[in-house]
Amino acid sequence: MLKIYISSIKVFLKTLKKKLFSNLFNTIITLLIILFISVACFNTFEWLISQANWKVVISNLPLYAFGSYPPNEQWRPATWIISLLLLSIFTLCGPEWKWLRKNLLIIWVGTIPLGLYLLYGGFGLSPIMSRHWGGLTLTILLTVCSSLLSLPFGIVLALCRQSSLPLIQKLSSIYIDAMRAIPLIAVLFFGQLLIPLFLPVGIEIDRVWRAIFAFTLFVSAYIAEDIRGGLQSIPNTQIEAANSLGLNQYQIIQFILIPQALRIALPALTNQSIGLFQNTSLMAILGLVELLGVGRSILANPEFIGQYIEVYVWLACVYWMVCTIMAILARHLEQRMTINQANF
Amino acid sequence: MEPIVVAKNLTKSYTKGLRALDNVSLTVNQGKVLVVMGPSGSGKSTLIRTFNGLETFDKGELSILGIKVDSTHDERKIQKIRRRVGMVFQQFNLFPHLSILENITLAPVHVQKRRQIEAEEYGMYLLSQMGIDSHAKKYPSQLSGGEQQRVAIARALALKPKLLLFDEPTSALDPERITEVLDAMRRLAEQGMTMIVVTHEIGFAKDVSDQVLFMDSGKVIEKSPPNIFFSNARHERSRKFLNQLDKH
Ligand SMILES: Nc1ncnc2c1ncn2[C@@H]1O[C@H](COP(=O)(O)OP(=O)(O)O)[C@@H](O)[C@H]1O
Ligand SMILES: [Mg+2]
Repeated sequence: MLKIYISSIKVFLKTLKKKLFSNLFNTIITLLIILFISVACFNTFEWLISQANWKVVISNLPLYAFGSYPPNEQWRPATWIISLLLLSIFTLCGPEWKWLRKNLLIIWVGTIPLGLYLLYGGFGLSPIMSRHWGGLTLTILLTVCSSLLSLPFGIVLALCRQSSLPLIQKLSSIYIDAMRAIPLIAVLFFGQLLIPLFLPVGIEIDRVWRAIFAFTLFVSAYIAEDIRGGLQSIPNTQIEAANSLGLNQYQIIQFILIPQALRIALPALTNQSIGLFQNTSLMAILGLVELLGVGRSILANPEFIGQYIEVYVWLACVYWMVCTIMAILARHLEQRMTINQANF
Repeated sequence: MEPIVVAKNLTKSYTKGLRALDNVSLTVNQGKVLVVMGPSGSGKSTLIRTFNGLETFDKGELSILGIKVDSTHDERKIQKIRRRVGMVFQQFNLFPHLSILENITLAPVHVQKRRQIEAEEYGMYLLSQMGIDSHAKKYPSQLSGGEQQRVAIARALALKPKLLLFDEPTSALDPERITEVLDAMRRLAEQGMTMIVVTHEIGFAKDVSDQVLFMDSGKVIEKSPPNIFFSNARHERSRKFLNQLDKH
């Protein structure tokens, strides 16, 4: 084992030598690049260790996590986030109990009502209005609610676009194409500023739900296209086989088309939800105090003025971490589905 | 004896001009096996696919298990027929995202509304009949072609059909896998299943079939019992076709 390891390092070094130092010109370029990288690394480390003032991060940790949620109730969003983390770890390395693996998806979906209950309160918990929600909690809430809502909406749109009824087919095509031609920020503006004007007097939807609604409108158009790609790659013979068994149109959609299309579209769908997570930061300029919004409001505090590098480096790390967790979970899901169905 | 399939003057063209079916008439009685032969493109698939409504036809009359369908392709009647007619395809067409047993129980549970447990028991019985019950938990891509085709037969049998349609069930198989599928079909014929089989397996046709139907360019050229068809075909066109088959 060790022998193989050493010899592969030798081979590696040899190829390095051949590729990077083959002649004078290559050698100079290689040395210049090494120099440049070292200087950059050195300066970064120096800044991180001696110049950066991490007080702006450390003393505001609860703010980043929960926004202006009342401090004595912050255990509620904390419980939710920790349960999400535990569930992630459990999904990845938990035991292989069959009944549990089968219901894992339901448990995941169940975290959303749990989160809403913990955040809103009621039924024994003191109610807290959504304008107090913020920070990472709000970012995650926006992401999971919008993803979960846009999936069924996207599936319906994709099916409508494949429909044989011309009116339905045209309408959904127009919707999908229009949504894909509008920038997300415009849709979000629409959600925050125009929806209240359209609603009849007396009905009010709070800002968080208007944002979720706008994200859903936007993302479902993209999801619809991903799923349509999946639907189109299912051979017609599958439908013939299902027809010959007497399954009706809806049963074919439910049992044959959607499961296969979702499996094919899965990598694209995970991209969408990671993209959605990052795009929730746009809400910072539309007045929601989610993760980026918290950063901006901290920077507006005279005590921390000018420390924007620390804040943004910290925020980048948090976004990176959550995105990585999402990507790992998605890869895990993909692998499980291929093991189940052996290179289908 | 009840006729299971009665077709009169079926005519169909896909595009104007060429006729995929040209005045085809035939009758298949209960418990009989009809083998359909003919060169590629002669309309064999089109013919048997009209029998469970996968294809429409332009003119003529068709009665399957006493249910009459015409060129209007009444969806309700077609569904009724499909619940009693099983079909096996050349490329198996199993559902890749479902396990073998789920492939088989899908229709009984959702079309016939049978209980899951009951459907699984009957599915396991069918799989053991086909000699593949040990694969019940696997997925189609983990099985060989011959095994997949036997699963497809079990899936078609799960609705307890009165008529089975086979469209070249062994044409996509390796030669050494053909027998296992043909043997399963032989057993079905012995049990009295009414079958219409598109195939070029002469041995199977000789042993099992009651009639051989020979088609060319959408027309029925000849319909004879197998002993006559293979030794002393009445038509020049049939003899030519059989000569070519022998050379392979
Ligand atoms: N979906 C289709 N569209 C147009 N033409 C078709 C279609 N299916 C079959 N045909 C034509 O109909 C004729 C009969 O085809 P088919 O029934 O598949 O023959 P076979 O099964 O005997 O090989 C052929 O000429 C074929 O080209
Ligand atoms: Mg054919």
